[in-house]
Amino acid sequence: MSENNLSQSFSETYDVVVIGAGNGGLTAATQLAKEGVKVLLLEQHNLPGGFATSFVRGRFEFEPTMHVLAAYGKPPNLGPVRKMFEEDFKIDAEFYPVPEAFRAISLNPDDNFNVVMPFGVEETINKIEEEVPGSKESVTKFIRLCKEAADAIMYIADSEGNPDKKVLMKEYSNFLKTAPYSVGRVIDTFDIPEKAKSILTAYWVYLGPPVSRTGFTIYSTMLYSLLSQGAYIPKYRSHGYTSAFDIKIRELGGKIEYNTKAERILVENGKVIGVETSKGDKIKTNFVISNASPTLVYNKLIYPKEEVPEIAYKQVNARTHGTSGFVVYLGLDASAEELGFKEYSYFVFDTLDSEEAYESFGKLEAPKAQASMCLNLTIPDCSPPGTCIFSITTLFRPEVWEDVKEEDYFKLKTKIADQLIAKFEKATGISVRDHIEEIEIATPQTWARYTGTYKGIIYGYEPDPWDSLIPRMMTMEEEFYIEGLKFCGGFSFQSHGYSTSLVSGQIAAFLTLLDMEKKGEEE
Amino acid sequence: MNGEDKKELKVKIKGGIRDLIAFAKLVPKRRKRFQRASSEPITSDPINEFANKLHPKKQHLIIDEIRDETKSTKTIKAVPDLDSGTNSLAYFRPGQYLSLKVEVNGVRITRPYSISSSPTDALKGFYEITIRKVEDGFLTTNIWDKWKVGKKITCSDPEGFFYYEPLRDKNHIVAIAGGSGIAPFRSMAKEIIETNIDVKLTLIYGSADEEDIIFYEEFKELEKTYPNKIKVVIVLSCDEVNLEGCETGFITANLIKKYIDANECSFFICGPQIMYDFVENQLKEFNLPPKRIRREAYGEVKEIINLSGFPKEVADNAFKIKVHIGSLIEEIPAKASETILVALEKANLNPPSSCRSGECGFCRSLLISGKIYVNPISDWRRAADKKFNFFHPCSSYPVSDLEIKIPRTR
Repeated sequence: MSENNLSQSFSETYDVVVIGAGNGGLTAATQLAKEGVKVLLLEQHNLPGGFATSFVRGRFEFEPTMHVLAAYGKPPNLGPVRKMFEEDFKIDAEFYPVPEAFRAISLNPDDNFNVVMPFGVEETINKIEEEVPGSKESVTKFIRLCKEAADAIMYIADSEGNPDKKVLMKEYSNFLKTAPYSVGRVIDTFDIPEKAKSILTAYWVYLGPPVSRTGFTIYSTMLYSLLSQGAYIPKYRSHGYTSAFDIKIRELGGKIEYNTKAERILVENGKVIGVETSKGDKIKTNFVISNASPTLVYNKLIYPKEEVPEIAYKQVNARTHGTSGFVVYLGLDASAEELGFKEYSYFVFDTLDSEEAYESFGKLEAPKAQASMCLNLTIPDCSPPGTCIFSITTLFRPEVWEDVKEEDYFKLKTKIADQLIAKFEKATGISVRDHIEEIEIATPQTWARYTGTYKGIIYGYEPDPWDSLIPRMMTMEEEFYIEGLKFCGGFSFQSHGYSTSLVSGQIAAFLTLLDMEKKGEEE
Repeated sequence: MNGEDKKELKVKIKGGIRDLIAFAKLVPKRRKRFQRASSEPITSDPINEFANKLHPKKQHLIIDEIRDETKSTKTIKAVPDLDSGTNSLAYFRPGQYLSLKVEVNGVRITRPYSISSSPTDALKGFYEITIRKVEDGFLTTNIWDKWKVGKKITCSDPEGFFYYEPLRDKNHIVAIAGGSGIAPFRSMAKEIIETNIDVKLTLIYGSADEEDIIFYEEFKELEKTYPNKIKVVIVLSCDEVNLEGCETGFITANLIKKYIDANECSFFICGPQIMYDFVENQLKEFNLPPKRIRREAYGEVKEIINLSGFPKEVADNAFKIKVHIGSLIEEIPAKASETILVALEKANLNPPSSCRSGECGFCRSLLISGKIYVNPISDWRRAADKKFNFFHPCSSYPVSDLEIKIPRTR
């Protein structure tokens, strides 16, 4: 390192260092800066956002990962994310409501499955009844259960993690009884016709594991939030709101350093004492909030290694690391209308069996489930007149990409993209192939390159029932293995997803503030 | 859905008490799973390793050979500098460039150069870049005077979006090149032959005179051996032409029409600034959609003050820029006619940079106060960056005194 670089380095003391400017890191740093805490936000990339970013190719600015933002809502029923954006932080970012939930299509003609779902609880129930006559009663019951789970989570959150057991038993007994099970298990106890079940569980792709493994609480909370509050996307792609956070953090007196990778979290006697960076910064701090996963923190960042307790390694190894993603981004030289796009988001399945689809994530070919979106159906002017932005997303177990050779990598990307496009065109009759003006293809390696996420994983730990929201919340305290270290983001206790990651950062900030208070009193 | 409804809902999974027991067991089960798990640290991550191999932060090279292509052009062949930790070279897509990171007369600068060798060559262990001497060029003068076999150089990973993409492009590529703009097309041609891509390449290559043609023999040989894959059309603009089978004058629509059916091709253009203007004007006759014409990034625009939108009233002005970088705040001089990146480099404050065309975004910085002019042909800023005053110093010029915050080098 040259002298010049060294002289630019920091050797200051900060109250809190936040590692990673992803969704969680940004809200954590904003909350801390707002409280007047001296906070430094470190980001290894040259942009804020992590996955919540954008990129430009030719005439198009693409949305890399967000499909929909849940928990946003509209007045008077603001969701927690919108409350945080507008009331807590006054973030200068605009969001547009997504017009409908999705169109879901099965490529298997025997399934006879091609439905467009609206948002809204009543609307959803009525639409399913229209598709599957006789389903109304059972579907209504199921959605009511989802509401109870969502309400219970709100109650537990409001109780700051100390809910009254009597209240839980009395008001939320159904929530308690279903929390130990998967969404597949729970929905099977309702007398819901198969097709209606497939509609209600179509969102499984947003969490990753098949319905037989996805914890009911987390699925039902997501489903109910989307149905009751709808979904939103940011006007200027995710970079629009993440750079608004950047500006806000600076305005509140926080400091952000890009191109600066946290390389070590210094720990002594089980307590955080500092952070060292790729730029030679040596920062003293007793509090770190990490947007980087426990997997990376325990295996790579904690220094010295002896400070990592055995149980931390065990925790990481016990959990199932989530899937990675594969996205084909297309800038098309015809308008959405000309091409025949009617909906914002399309789920295309080869099979309605989520186990079978999940299994296909383990092969190097277009998997049996994909989710796509045409941005212009929500933000009409997101690209120049006469053009539109369209992308197809699917999931992969990252391991299947491990043996790909450099000389085969680009051809493989093209091959899978080609297959995904073919499936989309077959399912919808919309022809995009002849209109490709810009194309970009993201693989697990791409996410690794830009975010450093372990194995290019885009989700966090899979929320199997034993590792779903409730057990994570109930064991939170005992799983803080290093004093002064908290986690936020998709790998933290709130589980993955945009809205949960955003909320997780604010919660990590609150927990850290409590710790700081305690420490202050001790001293 | 009101409270009344809720009372009616009684869910049973396994049944009554068993479900509550299952709830009570959630935490013990979790603890047990942790206890049973391996305590081995995770030491490898093949996906990140692959990403680093394709996109290393830096590549250390050593010059292995310098060939004179013409009187003003050299090809520099470089191999990994094992001593500095580069063991293999990053694979790439033909058409991509390397950003050289060099120190010239005490000033650290970056310069993008298209790779003229093929991706297969990179796997074999070498890159080639083909450089044309620029009259009074800051870097090329230094290269011509000082660069010898054995010199160590540092460069970026392969960058850029100027490459053939089968899902987008027609399988007949028309490569229009001028001067050293031939470099990426040599890489493409070699790749087409070496990996047998189902594509035809017609090269239409403009040079001032016979002596200026780079890779003439090599392309002619390829054309002879693979007539169905490679076609070469040499266009010379000088008055006296002795070369057999070449075209004279400029690359006009009529000339292009003689060799290809424009509607069945994808055009790739790489050359000096003046050629882009001319050729793109000629291509208008074919009325092609934008997707059929791709051009390599401009690089730094010469004579920026001649651009129609440039605020001419400040053209001769000098300004001060207050720069925040890491823990430092420095005040540096800048000229209205030079990019902010150049001013920063002259002051030895180097933000990361690669393309120098506004495209890659590595130098993205925050404009805290003051006014800048952004060259519209190299304005690749994101919409929100425009809104919040983030800018790319490599394609921006000061129009007043400025205060900016720049990232530290990668």
